[in-house]
Amino acid sequence: MNTIVTILYYLLTAYVAVLLVANFLKNKKWQEEILYIIVLIPFVLRLLRLK
Amino acid sequence: MNATTSAALVLAVMVAAYIVAKILKISTELSLFAAALAGALAGGSGIPARHIVEGAFTYFDIVLIFVTATLFMNLLKESGAAVFVVRAILHRFHRHKAPLFVLLTLLLLVPGALTGAGSVTVLIMGGMAATVLGTMDIPKPKVAAIIFVIAGLSAAAPPVNLWAMLTAAGTNMPYVGFFLPLLVPCVVLALLTIFILGWKSKPVDLEKALAELPEAPPKMNWFRVSFPFLVFSLLIVAGRVFPFSFPILGLPLMFAAAAAAAFVLSPVKLAFFKTSRDTVHQLLPLIGTLTCAGILVQVMALTGVRGLIAITTVTLPITVVFLTLFLTLPVSEAVLMWGAAPVLGVPLVLLFNTIGLNPVVALAGMSVIWPLGDAIPPTAIIGRLTTTTVGMKEPYTKFLKYCLVPAVLIAVVGTLMVVFSKKLAFLTVF
Repeated sequence: MNTIVTILYYLLTAYVAVLLVANFLKNKKWQEEILYIIVLIPFVLRLLRLK
Repeated sequence: MNATTSAALVLAVMVAAYIVAKILKISTELSLFAAALAGALAGGSGIPARHIVEGAFTYFDIVLIFVTATLFMNLLKESGAAVFVVRAILHRFHRHKAPLFVLLTLLLLVPGALTGAGSVTVLIMGGMAATVLGTMDIPKPKVAAIIFVIAGLSAAAPPVNLWAMLTAAGTNMPYVGFFLPLLVPCVVLALLTIFILGWKSKPVDLEKALAELPEAPPKMNWFRVSFPFLVFSLLIVAGRVFPFSFPILGLPLMFAAAAAAAFVLSPVKLAFFKTSRDTVHQLLPLIGTLTCAGILVQVMALTGVRGLIAITTVTLPITVVFLTLFLTLPVSEAVLMWGAAPVLGVPLVLLFNTIGLNPVVALAGMSVIWPLGDAIPPTAIIGRLTTTTVGMKEPYTKFLKYCLVPAVLIAVVGTLMVVFSKKLAFLTVF
């Protein structure tokens, strides 16, 4: 059961990461773009299982 | 150079970098990040990639809670559930001011309590509450003050209180026992606020209010409104009743399940991906603050600044600490937003714990005071958001004037909770 919960969390993380990337690509304000990149860091590292 | 002087210099550089960034009109979140980078450089650590990553992860779980809870609330709003409830309450109680105020207060408390963000309350319920209060002949600055103060208290209300969560995380204290110490003052103070500021109002002009509110979808009903909340409540209760047989889901998955229920039961077709994207965009300043505050705190720990602040706080005369809480907490919130909790909250809770106070009740008392800072410049994010949502044209100071009485009440109650936390320890039952 714990494995299923872990997989669900990876899926949730991936979904939020996709949302962050989609918003980043549509954004035109440089400050928000930088902020999207900073917020994205933990999501990408978690998905790559580096952290 | 000794360690204290070195840390003090790094702190000065960080403060200077933050001020310069703000002067250059950089957002609060990026200013926090700039302060962290400047501090690391001044401390001789260069650009510490490892610590930036570590810091960015500090509040990762809270960011997930934030996103899923707000998505749940936004789906409920898009499905017409929020307006359905407001219209139903108006139909039933438009002649009775007291129950109307009580129900309106509870409705305003729910979004912030579940998400931990006052801005979510303002965005989801603020407009509708302003319409209802406006038809009672309450001036707009007063309406804005009511919504702002209750939104702040909703952010402090359980189950999700970010100030308490961040501080608890920083002191290695489990986020347990906060439910009643947060619920009781938040509900009581929210009710006092609406009754004090709205006491002289006229009865609701029902026709005008119903005409101004959006229509609820025809197929919306109480089952569709309440079932997602039932799912969320059942998952929480199941985890507590069957701790050894029920899997530990965590709040993000519970909110995701509730959001899925809201999506499936919606009487209108919802654009799930678009609502999700809008949610993330709406939350960017908040999740950005959490991530950047995590990085800042990590760099503060790396350079010794965190220790300096902790030692300085812990060695202050306790009477001075008590008497200045009403000032230091809102001001730190105005400057650092949630970053105030790990920077200032952690040493204060350690101090209170050291002198024998109850850290849970003391932290709950502090958490009630912190949201007041959201109306104070330079950030004033929620204050400005509220006045815009209400459509207030009067000067901002008029709104602040109406916030004053509830703010004093909140500051007094919060401070008394800290001072008498040991006697109030019976509240920490669950």
